[in-house]
Amino acid sequence: MIGLEGISLHLGRFSLRDVNLHVREGECYCLMGPSGSGKTVLLELVAGFHPPAAGTVRIRGRDASPFPPERRHVGLVYQDYSLFPHMTALANVAFGLRVSGAPAAEALRMAGDLLSSFDIGHLCNRFPGTMSGGERQRCALARALAVSPDILLLDEPFSALDPAIRTECIGIIRDLAEDRALTVLLVSHSREEAFALADRAGLLIDGHIVQEGPPPEIFSHPATLEAARYGGVENIFCGTVEENTNGSAVIQVGPVKIVSRSGSPPGRRVSCCIKAQDIMLGLKPPIDPGMNVLPGFVSRIFQCEDFSMVSVEGGVCLTVRVPGSPVFPVGTRVNAIFPPEDVLVYEGG
Amino acid sequence: MRRPADWFLVACWILGGCLVALISAALLAIALPELADIPHLIRVAGETGVLESIFLTIAAGAIAVGILFVFGTPLSYVLARDRRPWSGAAGTLIDIPLILPHTVAGILVYLLFSTRGLIGGPLASAGIFFEDAFPGIVVAMVFVSIPYYVRAVREGFAKVPVHLENVARSLGASRFQTFFRVTLPLSYRHIWSGALLAWGRAVGEFAAVVIIAYFPMVVSTLIYQRFTTSGLAESRSIAFLMILIFVAVFAGFGLVTRGMGRDHDRA
Repeated sequence: MIGLEGISLHLGRFSLRDVNLHVREGECYCLMGPSGSGKTVLLELVAGFHPPAAGTVRIRGRDASPFPPERRHVGLVYQDYSLFPHMTALANVAFGLRVSGAPAAEALRMAGDLLSSFDIGHLCNRFPGTMSGGERQRCALARALAVSPDILLLDEPFSALDPAIRTECIGIIRDLAEDRALTVLLVSHSREEAFALADRAGLLIDGHIVQEGPPPEIFSHPATLEAARYGGVENIFCGTVEENTNGSAVIQVGPVKIVSRSGSPPGRRVSCCIKAQDIMLGLKPPIDPGMNVLPGFVSRIFQCEDFSMVSVEGGVCLTVRVPGSPVFPVGTRVNAIFPPEDVLVYEGG
Repeated sequence: MRRPADWFLVACWILGGCLVALISAALLAIALPELADIPHLIRVAGETGVLESIFLTIAAGAIAVGILFVFGTPLSYVLARDRRPWSGAAGTLIDIPLILPHTVAGILVYLLFSTRGLIGGPLASAGIFFEDAFPGIVVAMVFVSIPYYVRAVREGFAKVPVHLENVARSLGASRFQTFFRVTLPLSYRHIWSGALLAWGRAVGEFAAVVIIAYFPMVVSTLIYQRFTTSGLAESRSIAFLMILIFVAVFAGFGLVTRGMGRDHDRA
């Protein structure tokens, strides 16, 4: 449905480099990445607001470059919803129908029906400035869907909503996409949104897609160091491979040695990444001799709602996620234990 | 409970109040003698020459603003939206009348629109004259008020988020439809404000106008002419009438634009 082939684009100092992306018909694809990585620009490129310097944008299999934005049949919802502030909710939703030539009465009737289907029919005569975030989001969605687009482009549509409304709105979009068989290209920072909505996700870093796949895979197996950083891997250390025996590399990180399953040859500078949730804490060393064991002491504890983040000092400072309240108070001598399989190793660092 | 004095604000008021006092004193200086001799004021106001001059000034100013609306509005839009290098150069060029002495602006207008001028020459052969003619007054007014209009309207367009235009186009609106249905309505306040500033600048112009068209006399030329031939009392009455008309126009503008865009700002 959407195909980006070898797309390059330069906007001032920012550039997209050789972006290849394919979104299948009826699929929800989530574009993720740090701020300034080019997600919104990529969305606007699909909508036709930026001509690529190189490459082809395909919509429904056809080269979309001859088509201006108004002829691409693409619905666009921005983070701030971009409702027209001088129009009522009804006029906002009827806008697309009116400019397409629908008679005023017919356009208003359809817009009213659409607003009612989003449970905001009673807000017809309200101006956007007087509506809540959730109401504005529904209105923006209704407006985008009024012209029956084939593709829905959503630019962080939930980021301005409080958690309760956000969950509700995610449900609305998931139902809409299913009912209307919409192809959705969603930009999001949130892994919850990606998990809840997306069939596949792509990670855009510094104008380049570094990884694609189902959202759980992207977060569990980041393909690059940048992807690991973006995915929120808490423990990232630089080190040098000391030895490698049958794919089991011993990496010297400061004063400690970390074993990982990696093919990196001895002498290579690498980055070791260990997720906080993959590390266990214990008073005694484990029975399994194959585990990494870093002795240290608890230096700091952050208590969150249903888990705790515990800092363990022992040559290096490890962050460990433990469920519930921490068992070991600050100052306790503990062993941080993690299997070599959970140490992700990337070249360089 | 009584609020403690904010000495910073007090200091600001004292310093700024000097300017308010200056304008108030000037208005009082002209109003008091005029109000003390109402019959004289009525006699001057009833003179055909004065009435014609006031009407001519207001009409020329309005036409100048109309011309600015037609040509200056699209210019303001591209200056607000287009980031190409020549856009910056055009913006700087547009500001030049702002920094020129008014007599220099008059010379520039004369060089362009006199019967031997670059534009005035060919138009004279077609029967359109600017020297000592109404069109000359209008072009002088347009020239000096361009930056006032364009600056205000450009700021208005720049404040309309590009996202709104993008969404309008994604909904099927052409560039023209987007401009007329979204961008322009959201900039009305700035357009009105630019029009008022430009009109005020235009009708107040003297030097640039007098160089290309001493006749027919606009009010500022008439005031100068009366000052040099009949003295202060005659010119002061016309000046006072102009002040009254300007205050009425500003008050009317306030009424027209009071509710404009009220719904846009609530969030």
